[in-house]
Amino acid sequence: MQGEIYMSRVSIVGSGNVGANTAFFIAEEGVSDVLLFDAREGISTGKALDLMEAAPIRTYRTKIAGTDSFEDIRGSEVIVLSAGHVRKPGMRREELFEENATIIRELAARIGTGTGSIVVMVTEPVDLLTALFVEESGMPRERVLGIGGLLDTTRLSYAVSRDLCISMENISALVIGPHTKDMIIPERYTNVSGVPILKLMPRDQFFSLKEETVHAGDFIIEMVKNSTAYYAPSSCIAELVRSVVLDADRMLPVSILLCGEYGIDGVAMSVPAVIGRRGVKNIYLPKLTADEERQLRKSAEQMRLTLQGGR
Amino acid sequence: MGKISVIGAGNVGATAVYYIAERNLGDIVMVDIVEGVPQSKGLDFLHSSPLRQYSVQIFGTNNLKEIAGSDVVIFTAGIARKPGMDRMDLLKTNARIAQSTARAIVRYAPDAVVVTVTNPLDVIAMVLLRETGFDAGRIVGMAGVLDSTRFRYFIAEKLGVWPGDVRAMVLGGHGDSMVPLTRYTSVGGFAVHELLDTATVDAIVEKTRKGGAEVINYLKTGSAYYAPAASAAKMVESIVRNERRLLPASVYLNGEYGYDNIFLGVPVILGKTGVEKILELELTDAEKIALDRSALAVQNGVQTLDSLYEEKIL
Repeated sequence: MQGEIYMSRVSIVGSGNVGANTAFFIAEEGVSDVLLFDAREGISTGKALDLMEAAPIRTYRTKIAGTDSFEDIRGSEVIVLSAGHVRKPGMRREELFEENATIIRELAARIGTGTGSIVVMVTEPVDLLTALFVEESGMPRERVLGIGGLLDTTRLSYAVSRDLCISMENISALVIGPHTKDMIIPERYTNVSGVPILKLMPRDQFFSLKEETVHAGDFIIEMVKNSTAYYAPSSCIAELVRSVVLDADRMLPVSILLCGEYGIDGVAMSVPAVIGRRGVKNIYLPKLTADEERQLRKSAEQMRLTLQGGR
Repeated sequence: MGKISVIGAGNVGATAVYYIAERNLGDIVMVDIVEGVPQSKGLDFLHSSPLRQYSVQIFGTNNLKEIAGSDVVIFTAGIARKPGMDRMDLLKTNARIAQSTARAIVRYAPDAVVVTVTNPLDVIAMVLLRETGFDAGRIVGMAGVLDSTRFRYFIAEKLGVWPGDVRAMVLGGHGDSMVPLTRYTSVGGFAVHELLDTATVDAIVEKTRKGGAEVINYLKTGSAYYAPAASAAKMVESIVRNERRLLPASVYLNGEYGYDNIFLGVPVILGKTGVEKILELELTDAEKIALDRSALAVQNGVQTLDSLYEEKIL
């Protein structure tokens, strides 16, 4: 690996579009030095070099390095797992489980319990792999965060801001549950500068924004064809990393292994959590309608079957 | 790049310049009547630009002509109330400064949106409106953003979460007479009442009301300026970048919320043209009573202002 690493360090496993853009966003924010690793030789070094050569113009002071040696990621404050296969048009995230589970199992074994790192799971299907990683690595659940709900939330926030013509900075949205078409969008938890969303737009309109959010990832794959979304996912990862490294205590929906929340055990789904240096500090559970809770438990049951089938 | 003029190069004005420069919101003119002060602060800012890497021009002057062509004028000039000074004296002095500034704005920056910070806020805003004769939407007072940022901070502090994840809407007059809509206060989407009991929220409301006083008590010889300047700069950013933020601000009401011919803090959308929309929310009886009380205080201030006009003091 090239260059010395001085400040806190984030390692990214998987130097594809998501991994490289995450490095880019982290550098622009000056949050942390970044180490890229990929199973494909050379790609990490190449992308890191390209990013560093942009630094004099973009004026970030963070160091980005690439390595082909997995051992180099030891001692990282955060390890982002963005390795694995991505969806093709028409594919559901769940269909990636078998092939990506193999990769995540191997990574869990290599990272092991000994690490003090926080792990951010990005590889799809993110909820299933978050649960799998906790089980296989033996790490405490508080230190393994999946990005599902945050990505869905930022997509909903954008749609609300666009429709209302009000600054995105004022939008507070919340999407929880599985990062699938069965995600839960409790209306009461979306507001603009504190004003409930349904005071600002009719329910029908909000419903169509919910639909847009549910299908946002699919839509991008359909349009771009040979790639999934990566700017919004990378921005979510960078924000989680920032909240960990700066111990910022942001309250964000992240996928975490559930232990009794909503009566669900042994599968991971997104719930609002306060994120700091040690990972999840607190979990907050939104009040759901009976329908929403039923939907959540049904999704959990499906995930449990998939996880058991994969064993 | 747009042009932003800051009238009053005291702590609030100068700190607002700092925030505006750091965000590269526009070229900046600082005006103050004290000779040397705006010039020196302008230079000091420019000296730090190689390190801070902002690329805006900053220019200090004693001459109001220099505000020519401004897109936004921030009015922070005036005296602060000192112990023993009555509110009438404060109003007289600051209204006169507002009057002369307003005339300069009409003459040199006739297209500007005016963001006013000087106290008594809602009355000085009225002076600026009368003296400029601008469309009401181009005069906007900074109060609710400051009250709500303090409220948000105190809630975040209590819960141990990042302050940016707290959302709040505070209406009414500034400080003592503010009307926080606690049912519209949320943390990561959660209603604050789901996370804190009523007594705790009430205590935080009280703490917020006295937020300005708490800082004054520590400083003894001055008042808060970082949070006020940050609040004003936020409003300026929403205007010059046409960001259309939804935030509480003191604006001229013409029937909205049942009030006429006063400035009062209500939710608005701020964009390129100033106040682009006033949002009328349904209020509970208790909120309406509190807002009435706030409006009454402003009406009294406006009556005093009228008497100054009648006596030809203005």
